[in-house]
Amino acid sequence: MKAMKKTGTILCALALGLSGVLAGCGSTGKEQAASTGNTTKPATETAASNGPVEIDFWYALGGVRGKTIEDMVKKFNESHKDIKVKAAYQGAYQDNHSKVLASVAAGNNPDVTMVEIASIAAFADAKVLEDLTPYSQGDEKKYIPGLMKNSYWKDKLYAVPFNRSTPLLYINRDMLKAAGLDPNGPKSWDELISYSQKLVKKEGDKVTRYGFSTPVDIWFYEALVFQSGGNILSEDGKELTLNNESGKAPLELWTKMVKEGLMKNPPGENYNAWDVAEQDFLNQKVGMIFTTTGSLTELKKNAKFDMGAAFLPANKNFGTPTGGANLVMLAKSSDAEKKAAWEFMKWMTDTEQTVPWSIASGYMPVTTAAVDSPEMKAFYEKDPNFKVAVDQLQYGYPRPMAPGYKELQDVIQKELQRAMLGQATIDEALQNATDKGSKLLKK
Amino acid sequence: MRKAATAHELPDTGQVRAQAASRPTSRPDMMTRLRPYLYLTPAMICFILFFFYPIGSIIYLSFQDWSLINLEAMEWVGLQNYTELVADQEFQQVLTNTLVFTFATVGISLAISFLLALWLNKKAKMYGIIQATVFSPHIISFVSVSMLWMWLMDPQFGLLNAVLEAVGLPGYTWLTDPSSALLSLILVNVWKGVGYNTLIFIAGLQSIPGDIYEAAALDRSPWWRTLTRITIPMLSPTMFFLFIINMISSSHAFDTIAIMTQGGPINSSNMLVYYIYEQGMDYYNGGFAAAASVILLLIVGVLTALYFLFMSKRVHYR
Repeated sequence: MKAMKKTGTILCALALGLSGVLAGCGSTGKEQAASTGNTTKPATETAASNGPVEIDFWYALGGVRGKTIEDMVKKFNESHKDIKVKAAYQGAYQDNHSKVLASVAAGNNPDVTMVEIASIAAFADAKVLEDLTPYSQGDEKKYIPGLMKNSYWKDKLYAVPFNRSTPLLYINRDMLKAAGLDPNGPKSWDELISYSQKLVKKEGDKVTRYGFSTPVDIWFYEALVFQSGGNILSEDGKELTLNNESGKAPLELWTKMVKEGLMKNPPGENYNAWDVAEQDFLNQKVGMIFTTTGSLTELKKNAKFDMGAAFLPANKNFGTPTGGANLVMLAKSSDAEKKAAWEFMKWMTDTEQTVPWSIASGYMPVTTAAVDSPEMKAFYEKDPNFKVAVDQLQYGYPRPMAPGYKELQDVIQKELQRAMLGQATIDEALQNATDKGSKLLKK
Repeated sequence: MRKAATAHELPDTGQVRAQAASRPTSRPDMMTRLRPYLYLTPAMICFILFFFYPIGSIIYLSFQDWSLINLEAMEWVGLQNYTELVADQEFQQVLTNTLVFTFATVGISLAISFLLALWLNKKAKMYGIIQATVFSPHIISFVSVSMLWMWLMDPQFGLLNAVLEAVGLPGYTWLTDPSSALLSLILVNVWKGVGYNTLIFIAGLQSIPGDIYEAAALDRSPWWRTLTRITIPMLSPTMFFLFIINMISSSHAFDTIAIMTQGGPINSSNMLVYYIYEQGMDYYNGGFAAAASVILLLIVGVLTALYFLFMSKRVHYR
């Protein structure tokens, strides 16, 4: 009996202890919810009471570009008394993507964010994004058509262009002139080869200066496939269409140029290889490279020679993918937030903002009116290299639109490397990529 | 921090056993028996919330087809994630890489640390300074270490190749070739780990009573016999501890891979934890990532269990 009583008290104590601990957990949980929820939920409440609508904007650019974005947001908030945008930096594209997805699952997502253009399909397909068609009402016609190709999914508008780039051919004009070549650079693949032959310098068997260098990256491979009249994916996006002439041509060009000592395959994974190519170019160890418009400001600042930018050389035709990120609206936001979000997206990408944004960041202006604006024209006159990317957009192709493209592009890139390092023939590599790719696309 | 705590617990093992043996035989009343559980409740709740629940949840998720990008479309697929993973060539390579990396890193690191400890276990200022130098990599973050080594290993303007070429050897490919990338990562991790291991070994050496050595010296025991019959057996608990700790941390390598190679070139330096991250965070294949996590848990669990089973018999606790 005595034991029973004691057990009773123990159980009581246990229960009390438990509830205490649970209560502790509960309260912290609530506090957290309150502090994070703060960012979205009260927005609707204040909207009802006629205060400003609060929206969250997550961006993925650091450094000077991030600061420019913060300044733009500040300017927006000053000129829009009924909307308050809270901007937050969330790390690079991939980090931001993961955080956005986690926040959607947790129910405290931002209202506007940046999505890398080849991931728009994945986000739209999963219904994370809001269809912008009813908001934009034809207003999207102001954007440069070449930049809109990654904005649609199943015929609906999901994104507007924000920070956009294309690959360019960068040229060491002094080096080309010294070799008796046209300082405007090669216009075709054949010229790329013949120019490189004249730029190469050898000491014995060792190449001390290469003609050309490019990271073996999916982005440049896409460009070369487009230039050969092909495409990465079939029309319906269900199949990889690389195991053919246009898929093989880029690899044939690169392997041939590497084998003949004309091209340097820069070592390193992903962006490490890009850095190597740019460093070699600045150190005049290579005469021409492929890299993004985004590097123009930086390269121009550091180059100790006359540097030029040109279209990527053509095979059957000119061709280029675009890069960078678009602005999107999230489907889970409230109606009031969405309205405010569209207001903000429209403003951020409008001519008046995109001109200073382009000049400050090195990305392209996104509206056709911006390209023709006096400020932009004056800027281009000062350095015509900045205009090359915009001009090249007439040959722009969309990056492949398929929900699983992030994984697919890594699969393709690995096979490209295998072919470049001689671990597989071009046919084997492309067959491998096609096999793995079609499995992924069927998922 | 966690490592340090476990290090302190080691010598206690004997005491715990002694207590267990001297447990009172009379049957205690209910209160006495339940009281410890009452005191443990808060800690247990934290354990359940932050350890058992996540483990259970990852096992559950590994049987689902789910994408991080579309959580509502979750579907029970049984063992499909596992069968697909095991059949995947890339995953097989990742597993092999992980095992090679783990055993090579632990083996080389422990061997070097042991020799260093034997050499540095002396009382002079110089040895103290060398000890501190060897230990210094341990306190630098893995991120800085990785950046530094990437720089050293640069095939063109890296210090390592400059040295090689200065003595007339050809430069090495380091991180840029599929055949050498994994080896380069092992080198960096060994360099990072040797200092800590050496320190623990020295502590172990100093806890061996001097009279045993005196007795051995009186018996004119040759140095190698002293080493194999006294030092190594007396040091075996330390070795055992370091082995387990090193194995677990090496099989979880992530920072060096993420910064130095990103699993490349062509997957040649990809390992389990990075693979899990890639599948989950880059490709949104939640089910795959969960299944790979469970496999990692099993591997580490089985290896640890095996070592406890076989090694613990050989380990000599004083």
